[in-house]
Amino acid sequence: MDEQRREHPALQVVGLTKRFGGLTAVDNVDMEVYPGEVVGLIGDNGAGKSTLIKMISGVYRPDGGKIFLEGQETTFVSPLEARRLGVETIYQDLALCENLDATANIFLGREPMRRSLGLLKAVDRKHMLAESRSVLDRLDIHIPDLSRPIREMSGGQRQAVAIARAVYWNARLMIMDEPTAALGVPEQRKVLHLVHTLREQNVPVIIISHNLQDVFAVADRVVVMRRGKKVAERPIQETTMDELVSLMVGGSLLEE
Amino acid sequence: MRTRQRSWLVLALITAIALVLSACAAPPAPSAAPAPAEPQAAPSEGGDQGITMALVIGVQGDAFYITMAKGAQDKAEELGVNLIVDGPPEWDAVKQTAIVDAMIARGVDVMAIAANDKQAMIEPLQRANDAGIKIISVDTFIGDGDYVNGPVTFPLSYIGSDNVEGGKIACEALIEAIGGQGKLYIQNTVPGVSTTDQREQGCKEEIDAVDGVELVGVDYNDDNSSKAAEQTTAVLQREPDLGGIFGTNLFSARGAAQAVSNAGLTGVVKIANFDAPESAIEDLRNNVVDLVIAQLPYQMGQVAVEYAVKAMEGDMDAIQPRFRTGYVIITRDNVDTEEAQKAIYKSE
Amino acid sequence: MSGNNPAHLMRTLSRIWAWLFLLALVIFFSLTGEGFFSLFNLQAIGANVAILLIMALGQTFVIISAGIDLSTGFVMGLASVAGAMAMTALPPGTPLPLIALTGLAVGLGVGLIPGLVNGLIIAKLKVPAFIVTLGMFGIARGAGFLLSGGMPLPVSIQGLGRIGNGYLFYYYPSQGLSFLNPPAGVTGVELRQVTGILPHPLTFAVILVLAAHWLLKHSRFGLHTYAIGGNQEAAIRAGIPVDRRTVALYMLSAGTAALAGVLYNMRFTNGAANSGEALLLDSIAAVVIGGASLFGGEGTIIGTVIGALIIAVIQNGLVILGINPFWQFVAVGVVIILAVLVDQAKEQVAS
Ligand SMILES: Nc1ncnc2c1ncn2[C@@H]1O[C@H](COP(=O)(O)OP(=O)(O)O)[C@@H](O)[C@H]1O
Ligand SMILES: [Mg+2]
Repeated sequence: MDEQRREHPALQVVGLTKRFGGLTAVDNVDMEVYPGEVVGLIGDNGAGKSTLIKMISGVYRPDGGKIFLEGQETTFVSPLEARRLGVETIYQDLALCENLDATANIFLGREPMRRSLGLLKAVDRKHMLAESRSVLDRLDIHIPDLSRPIREMSGGQRQAVAIARAVYWNARLMIMDEPTAALGVPEQRKVLHLVHTLREQNVPVIIISHNLQDVFAVADRVVVMRRGKKVAERPIQETTMDELVSLMVGGSLLEE
Repeated sequence: MRTRQRSWLVLALITAIALVLSACAAPPAPSAAPAPAEPQAAPSEGGDQGITMALVIGVQGDAFYITMAKGAQDKAEELGVNLIVDGPPEWDAVKQTAIVDAMIARGVDVMAIAANDKQAMIEPLQRANDAGIKIISVDTFIGDGDYVNGPVTFPLSYIGSDNVEGGKIACEALIEAIGGQGKLYIQNTVPGVSTTDQREQGCKEEIDAVDGVELVGVDYNDDNSSKAAEQTTAVLQREPDLGGIFGTNLFSARGAAQAVSNAGLTGVVKIANFDAPESAIEDLRNNVVDLVIAQLPYQMGQVAVEYAVKAMEGDMDAIQPRFRTGYVIITRDNVDTEEAQKAIYKSE
Repeated sequence: MSGNNPAHLMRTLSRIWAWLFLLALVIFFSLTGEGFFSLFNLQAIGANVAILLIMALGQTFVIISAGIDLSTGFVMGLASVAGAMAMTALPPGTPLPLIALTGLAVGLGVGLIPGLVNGLIIAKLKVPAFIVTLGMFGIARGAGFLLSGGMPLPVSIQGLGRIGNGYLFYYYPSQGLSFLNPPAGVTGVELRQVTGILPHPLTFAVILVLAAHWLLKHSRFGLHTYAIGGNQEAAIRAGIPVDRRTVALYMLSAGTAALAGVLYNMRFTNGAANSGEALLLDSIAAVVIGGASLFGGEGTIIGTVIGALIIAVIQNGLVILGINPFWQFVAVGVVIILAVLVDQAKEQVAS
């Protein structure tokens, strides 16, 4: 870890702030993620975790602070730009189009095109379908009928599609907001395995999870948020489940 | 389980509709003379004359056209003509064209039509004419209404009031009612309708011809009384000494009358109502309007059928390219005379 | 896959019920209506529905994107007025194709402006489409009447009416087929034996239908239209340039309305600000009967074609049967509600 620390962080945020009306959802947060590092982002409901990662993925424009990606300051004005720079996000609400099939969702916004009728460019469905199959196979996920709309799929299958979408595009930074919430135990394992794989490939990961066991299983470091503020940051070896819980709920003296 | 019930309900509904449709379709069509080869060329069976005639009215549910249809029907029975009356549910050239095409498909011999637009209906009626159907204009015309020299010559005749004349007569009576001088205002329906355009024109000519009478404006109300009322209210604001209003049809006069009554000017501002449905007569009796100008739609319908028969008999000399039906001016003084009573448009 | 029966049945049914309904209507009217099932009449239905259908094409895209465009009727009117003014302003002696192209270019160009404004306001200022296009409904209407001075503008140009009313082929028993014009030398009564094949408005509509179908089904723009209608927020997060797409959607809708206006010019040799007034609701009805959801995300061009044909067949058939045309409104209304019921039943069985 120490050698990596000396490198540039893959992602650095400084003083990031977001307000919704009178509510400060994210309040002056600093955070770094290094290459090949998995950072667990935890906190009680409403602590501001999702809002924080949505600023990094370009959904929200910060009201204050800066975002650096591999040392470069970036001002993500849109998710499109964040994705172009290699930030892939699995959102807590999945952000899928329920009326479209799995394939279309995986490629949404970056559809491969083929020539059709000479000069017109058509969406290359065949290519998309083959690629979707292969990424799902890679993740060891089985969805029997990829041409069915998402609406007709189970919660687990939907989450799998959202994961597949993020994984497909060789991310430079992977953000996962509660990626295992809708999954059964075997699928949860697969996701944790996926995080390990990404780490081996030197892709940094931010993972938000309610399940502290999962966080202990995959994270190198945890960042704890409470009421919009970052209240603690611990290497995973130096903390315990009890400590993290008390940091999250704020009932302990440890925080001060 | 609810959901399943719902889906069966819809299935049942569709089945029911399908059954109703097929049940309707089951008995052979009444005129079952099989004409498989060329349905449109097949002779249509009609009355004694063997003539099938379509009367395409301007719009459904209008007492004027109902009276015209009545006149046509009475004459058709007398002469043994098979008459089909139809018309669009709203005054719209696109919808009327669909009816014209359906009549072509039905293979009628003659079509009398109150065209919804003098320009837009030329091509559809040309098409009917090309299909061998004799065209007669009733009430409204196409092109400029001059079927001898005009740009459009294929219709055999234009049977209708002379609306310029009608506008003149109306405003002559209106000017007399306001004492020979003052300000007049015209409430018109929709621009582009030949009849009301001409009534406006006739009224304007009369106003120009009389010294001391001034036209303060013309507004178009889309054939909508409440719009006419709004516009008239505004004009009454602008012209407090307005003398009279010419409403080019019932809706226009109605709306104008309402605005006048809201302003407390009933009887002060005189209103002439072009057209004479029963409600206009009621308005006349209630002092809401002061003059009612009646056309003779019953006569139009009758002449149209007579001309259809003449045309089919090849007696073209008996057909005048322009047949002017007259007017009756109804006032509170003459409303109970037989002549006035006969001129009122009856809605059934 | 065994497939549970009612769900499978409902899904199939919801896909084909409109076809079946149309088929039932055609069979019914063919059996009962004199002259309904004739080449002339069926083509006339096609030609008469062309304007409505073209207007409904753009509306289909907008409705799939969970929007609505209430301004199309008067955008059509405005375009028809602009087209008429441009064509009549050309010096006499201008070749007919040039006149027609001028009308097309000017009508389309003027018609696209309200679409651009609609799209920009909806996309950038986030005003609901219903409100923006209702505003544009009034603006386009007023502009059309102002431009035309309140009067319909006749376009009495020799030959123009043939473009909107002619046929691609003519068949005359003794001379066979001729292209574009009735066989030479056939006049007067003989003209009545000439059969027209493929009315131009129908051909024009078919071409536009194919183009719209391709665009919706195979282009990136079409896929994004579905995505925006399915979940606009998800579309944004996936990186779709939703604002740009929205502007394009409303321009497409205005564009097809304008093309309808230019076709009106040619078919009725007229330009009128209110020419599309009666068509707006029918065109939305066609889209809905065709299976599009007003909540967005669902719909097809083929569905819209079927929807428009159902409306046109009802209107034509009832006239042929001599049934009071006010029943048209009732019949079309019933079909709209039926369409939505079928859709809901499908959703509920699916979930
Ligand atoms: N779009 C929004 N508009 C207004 N308030 C929001 C919005 N998104 C989140 N919030 C509020 O911001 C706070 C942080 O929310 P969130 O980031 O979703 O928390 P977490 O993901 O940690 O549960 C909550 O109080 C939430 O209600
Ligand atoms: Mg959250």
